[in-house]
Amino acid sequence: MNSSPAIEPDAPDLVCQLDNVQGMVDALTCVRWKRHQDALVELSEHGIVLIVEESGCLQAKVYLQRELFTKYEYGAEGRPRFGISLGLLVDCLNTFSSPGHSNTIEIKYPGPDMELLLKSVDTLNSCIYSEIRTRIPETSEWDYNFEQAGTVPLTFTVKSAALKEAIDDLEWPGSSVQISLQMSPPCVTFRGEGHGDLQIDFMYYANTDLLLAFHCDTEVSYRYKYKFLKATTANIPGNVARENRGSKLTIGRGGMLKVQHLVSVSKPLAPQVDSAGYQPPSRIAYIEFFVKPEETA
Amino acid sequence: MKFKAFLTENGVNLLEKRFLPAFDKMGKTCHLFLTKDHLFFLHNLLNGDGVQCIAQFRIDLLFDDYRVSSQNDDRIAFSLDVSLLYRAVKSSVSICTEFSGGLASNRLQIKLVKKLPPNCTQPMPFLTFETKGYKSAVIQDVPISKPLSRSQVVELQTALDSAQDLPPTLVQVQDPSQLQNFVDRMKHVGDVLNVTISKHGDLQVQISTTLVRLGSEFQRLSVIGEKSQAPAEDRNLSAQARSERAIARGDAQSVQVSVKHFSKSLQCHLTKPDSAFYGIAPQGACLTVIFQFMVPGTRQTDKSISLHCRLPVLDPGSN
Repeated sequence: MNSSPAIEPDAPDLVCQLDNVQGMVDALTCVRWKRHQDALVELSEHGIVLIVEESGCLQAKVYLQRELFTKYEYGAEGRPRFGISLGLLVDCLNTFSSPGHSNTIEIKYPGPDMELLLKSVDTLNSCIYSEIRTRIPETSEWDYNFEQAGTVPLTFTVKSAALKEAIDDLEWPGSSVQISLQMSPPCVTFRGEGHGDLQIDFMYYANTDLLLAFHCDTEVSYRYKYKFLKATTANIPGNVARENRGSKLTIGRGGMLKVQHLVSVSKPLAPQVDSAGYQPPSRIAYIEFFVKPEETA
Repeated sequence: MKFKAFLTENGVNLLEKRFLPAFDKMGKTCHLFLTKDHLFFLHNLLNGDGVQCIAQFRIDLLFDDYRVSSQNDDRIAFSLDVSLLYRAVKSSVSICTEFSGGLASNRLQIKLVKKLPPNCTQPMPFLTFETKGYKSAVIQDVPISKPLSRSQVVELQTALDSAQDLPPTLVQVQDPSQLQNFVDRMKHVGDVLNVTISKHGDLQVQISTTLVRLGSEFQRLSVIGEKSQAPAEDRNLSAQARSERAIARGDAQSVQVSVKHFSKSLQCHLTKPDSAFYGIAPQGACLTVIFQFMVPGTRQTDKSISLHCRLPVLDPGSN
């Protein structure tokens, strides 16, 4: 195994190891909606959070909790943050997950020139290494304060695969999609208008296998730009559908939409797990999207 | 100028299942060079700055009843479209298997002909494949270039001779698929690949841009040619530092090649070699990859086939 040079001025902020790179690639790919995207990474004793943003209207966060890692040594004071190219990070990580190599990597920050260092571990006579340049993050905070709209959260949980399919289908009518929640009968409606219109209803009582949960004490309806809505489901990894997971959507104050997915980061098991596909919660990466509604004219 | 032969079953298998699929990926056209003893497939030998690929087959490996004659020491060379050749061989094989009912007597004949194509006044040269079935014969004509002139053949032979130089140090990669997987994924990160080969048996491939450095190192590979022991104090260094020190000592050489070229040369794995050797030509003139084939069922090198690629080296200032 290769180790870093003998003289180390300071202990790094973070040294962690992950035994399934592909899981991390899947989780990060989920928030990669275009080729060149700047991401902000925040490290803490609890784990790694990666944030991407677009046009002041869409934000996504990937939470990689420390429990996902086989080793997590945090030595920083405060919460170090750095900017990085998401595309490069994903492309580099993807190289580590090539078959024939051990799937375990070590992630270290910072390197001698504030780089993010990746290297494969536990492979005999071969290794992969990567150093990715980081940036000083912008000081302005992205303002996506999500607050509950009323006393009861306005929320529903839908099968991730069904949500993706619905949003994919809404592509043709036009540039914006209206999401409405109504109480009686309990129902979620996605409606796209433009070149023709398309309406997709998830009826709580009729589609209990698709609409898994529904909480609503007041009728709401907001419009969202299609391209931002699309970004929330476009790159959900295949295992989310295979494991039959659900996505939770919540509408907050002012119509801010929160979309949450769960992505498995565990090592694929040799014999197929049973159809329930139960995995301990610690092996899940949490993905959150925040979408601002369109201004009402 | 005459060429006529029957392809052996082994020859058909080698070409159809292994070599033509690889050559098809190497480039659109190639030279076919026939001599009394050998058949060569040559990519980019005379023209262009792409990957040179040189495949040589002993005649008895591919052909029965091989007859070649020309006024130029019985050598004939021409260029052709590899994909057309591949298609013709594939379809001839399917006709053979479909109509012969498993009879070995049904053989695939290949010959050089001149024909007058429709709407033409000049006869054109073709490489013709003739499959005789039980009741019918199927003939496929693959258009080829005009045969190379005497001086062009000399030029081709000279290029071929000079492409045979061996690098002083060669390292052996036993499992080329690992390298292929790696380079396939690496392609997205950059266009220029640094390849470092040391006399200690280390092969390092690395992409380096202003934003990222991504590399892989294979250590303790078998070395043919000049070799030396790695100093013990280097053992705990990073791959990068180790190769820098080896270059400074003169124990390693490094060249830059295009990721696209490297990836293309890896397509030669479609020929199912048993291993590949990587080496850098003297003065860093090119990166050479030599593929090794064993006599089936043995650990002996099959001397009737040889395949190697030469990757042009990029000017370090050009990236």
